[in-house]
Amino acid sequence: MSSISNTKVPLFGPAKQSVEHKKNNEFGPLTSDEYLYQVHSRNGEPLRDPVLDAPPYYVVVITYLNYLILIILGHIHDYLGMTFQKEKHRELLEKDGLAPWFSKFESFYVRRLKLRIDDCFSRPTTGVPGRFITCIDRISHDLNSYYTHPGTTTMCLNLSSYNYLGFAQSEGKCTDNAIASVDKYGLTAGGPRAQAGTSDLHLETEKLVARFVGKEDAMVFSMGYSTNANFFNSILDSKCLVISDELNHTSIRTGVRLSGTAVKAFKHNDMEALEKLIKEQIVQGQPKTHRPWKKILICVEGLFSMEGTMCNLPKLIELKNKYKCYLFVDEAHSIGAIGPQGRGVCDYFGINPSEVDIMMGTFTKSFGAAGGYIAADKKVIDKLRCDLTIPNYGESVPAPILAQTSASLRIITGELNPGEGLERLQRIAFNSRYLRLALQRLGFIVYGIADSPVVPMLLYAPSKMPAFSRMMLQRKIAVVVVAYPATPLIESRVRFCVSAALTKEDIDYLLRHVNEVGEKLFLKVSTGKAGGSLDGKPPRWDIEEVIRRTPSDCKDDKYFLI
Amino acid sequence: MRQPPEVLPSSIPVPEAVLRSSSYVWYYCQRAAHAIPGMRYVVSYVRKSHQDDPYRTLFELFLIIYGIIYFFRKPRKQGEQAAPKLSEREVEALLDEWEPEPIAQQNIKLEWRAKSTPVLMGNSSAPTRVNLTRDEGRESYSDVLNCASTSFLQISSDPEFVKAAKDTIHQYGVGACGPAGFYGNQDVHSELEYNLARFFGTERAVLYGQDFCIAASVIPAFTKRGDVIVADDRVNVALQNALQLSRSTVYYYNHNDMEALEELLEQLQERELNEKLPSLPRKFIVTEGLFQNLGDIPDLPRLVELKRKYKYRLLVDETFSLGVLGANGRGIAEYYNMKRDASVDITIGSLAVALGSSGGFVLGDNVMSMHQRIGSHAYTFSAALPAFAVTTASRVLDHLEHDNSAVQKLRSLSQLMHQLFIDDSELSPYIEVTSSKESSILHFRLTDEYRSRVFHTTEESLFQELSAMHAKNLSEKYIEGCEREEKLLQRIVDMALKEHKVLLTRNTFVLKHETLPVTPSLKLCCSAKMTEDELRSACESVKSAVLACTSE
Repeated sequence: MSSISNTKVPLFGPAKQSVEHKKNNEFGPLTSDEYLYQVHSRNGEPLRDPVLDAPPYYVVVITYLNYLILIILGHIHDYLGMTFQKEKHRELLEKDGLAPWFSKFESFYVRRLKLRIDDCFSRPTTGVPGRFITCIDRISHDLNSYYTHPGTTTMCLNLSSYNYLGFAQSEGKCTDNAIASVDKYGLTAGGPRAQAGTSDLHLETEKLVARFVGKEDAMVFSMGYSTNANFFNSILDSKCLVISDELNHTSIRTGVRLSGTAVKAFKHNDMEALEKLIKEQIVQGQPKTHRPWKKILICVEGLFSMEGTMCNLPKLIELKNKYKCYLFVDEAHSIGAIGPQGRGVCDYFGINPSEVDIMMGTFTKSFGAAGGYIAADKKVIDKLRCDLTIPNYGESVPAPILAQTSASLRIITGELNPGEGLERLQRIAFNSRYLRLALQRLGFIVYGIADSPVVPMLLYAPSKMPAFSRMMLQRKIAVVVVAYPATPLIESRVRFCVSAALTKEDIDYLLRHVNEVGEKLFLKVSTGKAGGSLDGKPPRWDIEEVIRRTPSDCKDDKYFLI
Repeated sequence: MRQPPEVLPSSIPVPEAVLRSSSYVWYYCQRAAHAIPGMRYVVSYVRKSHQDDPYRTLFELFLIIYGIIYFFRKPRKQGEQAAPKLSEREVEALLDEWEPEPIAQQNIKLEWRAKSTPVLMGNSSAPTRVNLTRDEGRESYSDVLNCASTSFLQISSDPEFVKAAKDTIHQYGVGACGPAGFYGNQDVHSELEYNLARFFGTERAVLYGQDFCIAASVIPAFTKRGDVIVADDRVNVALQNALQLSRSTVYYYNHNDMEALEELLEQLQERELNEKLPSLPRKFIVTEGLFQNLGDIPDLPRLVELKRKYKYRLLVDETFSLGVLGANGRGIAEYYNMKRDASVDITIGSLAVALGSSGGFVLGDNVMSMHQRIGSHAYTFSAALPAFAVTTASRVLDHLEHDNSAVQKLRSLSQLMHQLFIDDSELSPYIEVTSSKESSILHFRLTDEYRSRVFHTTEESLFQELSAMHAKNLSEKYIEGCEREEKLLQRIVDMALKEHKVLLTRNTFVLKHETLPVTPSLKLCCSAKMTEDELRSACESVKSAVLACTSE
């Protein structure tokens, strides 16, 4: 690893632009009223069982071979390195009687696989991550062990930030509100909530959040990950059970682990497996002692950020009521981005939020702020205010974040700038559907449901990840590639995060380039059974045809399998 | 037809039919085997071994069958019993019968806490003064001296810093909208990490979104089963959580008792020598720079000496000491005139306390920092810190580098505050001060004598009661004596607020999360923008409130 001590990215700051240009670059103006789509509530109708497209066998074989070669080469590299270049591998060896920070085995994947493609991650940026993102150019040396910066920046189309509703802006109501709050409340909160870190702005924002998600009360925290990681230990102990979707986010897993609760996982979105598991657990009780569980909490995410799939809420509610379990829904990605009014999965399925016991979400994504919230019935929140660790020991949320959150919330509900919130919601719905259907028609394998703003496109072979990412960067498009361990081993993917800030023309630009790169990298392998095909044959539409027909087609549910 | 080959020696009495059929099976197996390339060698091996020892063939056959059965059997954990077979009706009855506990039980006895939490109203006349309400707006106070705020240096409240933060919002927006690994790290983040590392004298720094979750993320990133952690037995809840998640074997030593620590390390070393482990375990000593619950300072030179002698790494949680201790606010290392990179291996710091911004960071060497960026969950799986918090912290550090007047002022105020309480003989029967004179928070609690006289509890009895509750896994952890003591302390806070317009606070804690001994205490914080007179009169007010409440 790096022997250069403490290099840093030069401080650029965003380029000077006129306010008009800046606004357009952060949030593209709507080009036509046709590029809007109003999502309809599903009125309690559950999701169909998902159809997953599988790649041809040769793709699977190539992917495994790809890993095999990388692993064998890595081990040869390790062996030679440890024999002949000891000083380069000092961090893996004992030093002065101290064990190394990490062992050779633990770090193998990172050193020999991830390091090769490290230039695709942690690209430094500057300015607002809006419709465009300004990446700071860098040159990689010695197989990504360090970088130098030539002093230039590249403005890329932004498909990487969780900026679903396009509130990452530095002009407009939200910004004004955030700036005004600095004068009134200062930059720091001054201690834990229970001591002297509560301001009226906190309470006001909490009321707004509660009203928005449809619960009686809510609490806000300064970090989304930490909200989950420090929540479960206040309501659960080792005599409770958590039934968790296998693809739940690490923050939930950490939080559950900290609480010492027993955990059982069920296959992603498999409601039959879930029912079987609940029945078995209630009947069998705790392991060994067979005493009944104190309580059972089902944990799912509203929108799964790596899959683009949604939890099957109507079915979950049915099960939870039938078996007297509690339901926790993490709406980190779905709040704001999903549903006719942007109020998350309950809104989307047309379910009364009172059916869900605990709703958690973040402000990082749709609201362009930071932090998280927990919403529940008043008596639960009252209890949590006393019991949670963060309000008693940790820092409180600083004012500008609260101000940004409350302003963006009020824009979505239409209290501020009536009409703007609705436009944002309709644009993200259109953009998501358009991009998804277009990619399917071009022949790519795409996961997830029609309305999800997360559009994961499968790449499979690990060597295609850096290739895709670098080729897209050359074409001035910033994308995120993800692989194992965030996904199953062979399902490396690129994740497009659609934003309301993008115009239809931006997506056309993206599609043309993805089409070109996809052909070069041999990524068009879908069979069409998961969507995109009109005649049952593998879809391989021409790009012009896709761009001509999809904008109107994508508004029709019949082209999607949902 | 040819006579089938003899399979078993004729000396063993076996029925003719069995013998004949097994001979046929063997014969056809052999023929089939010849069709598979390479099988010849296997056959000739089996034949040879059979000739030498016929029973061995039987035994091997049995082993193979057992292997197949074992392979296809459902794995069962050790000690697990087979689930009893239940009929449909029995299952239904059990499902019906199960009645869960409510998700959160309200405890009316705890409601006073919510009512007594101050809500600051903003727009205060000076950084040290606040307007506040309590109990849902039923009580309101204006122009109160804020002795509960943890932003000690108050540098970021200067107009130029406020303006700079606003400029940042105008350039970068509010949120970073992505994790550090995916375009969330901006140039300002890199700048701040560089500045932090340079200011505190380490190779690198890594930024986190919130201070409380850092320890619970960093420690597990470097520990696994079999590693050893030796921790002070008064560390804060953030560290307690971290130790719980670390999977390592945790040992505690008596608070700040270096002799006890050395004895423990000596014992552990002996045990390690006897055990002959396959690989060297990672070993850590975990402590705090300024203890969150007590406000005292550990003996760093001695700790460093011990860690070198016994080959441990040292982790110090400096949430409350960075910006406070040392001539320039560089924390405990500067306080003892030591070099940070040579003494402390992992430093956990907060941007939300003395530095007056939000978020936190970890200081350390290159290798450790690089590994954190992949292995530390709160870094990898969480959005990057908002840009305005980052630039504010950067500017505060710049300011501290060439102007330590705020740190010096804070120190003199802390010492004054400490002196005023320590020297007062009238107070000594009722309260004891636990914090050191450099601490910008004055921690004081009831004396043991007073506590046992009025509440009939001691620190040990509280801890025993709490441990018993943990062992029984009670959902509700409530100790009457502790609660009454907390209420008394709250009365002191209320009186200081109502009669003297001074806001101080209880050191809030949640029994449920405390796994180490803890006693209720009060915190009186000073900040650099206070005048000496303000602080003097605040201390007098608090003293009179203490006397009034304790002698009731």
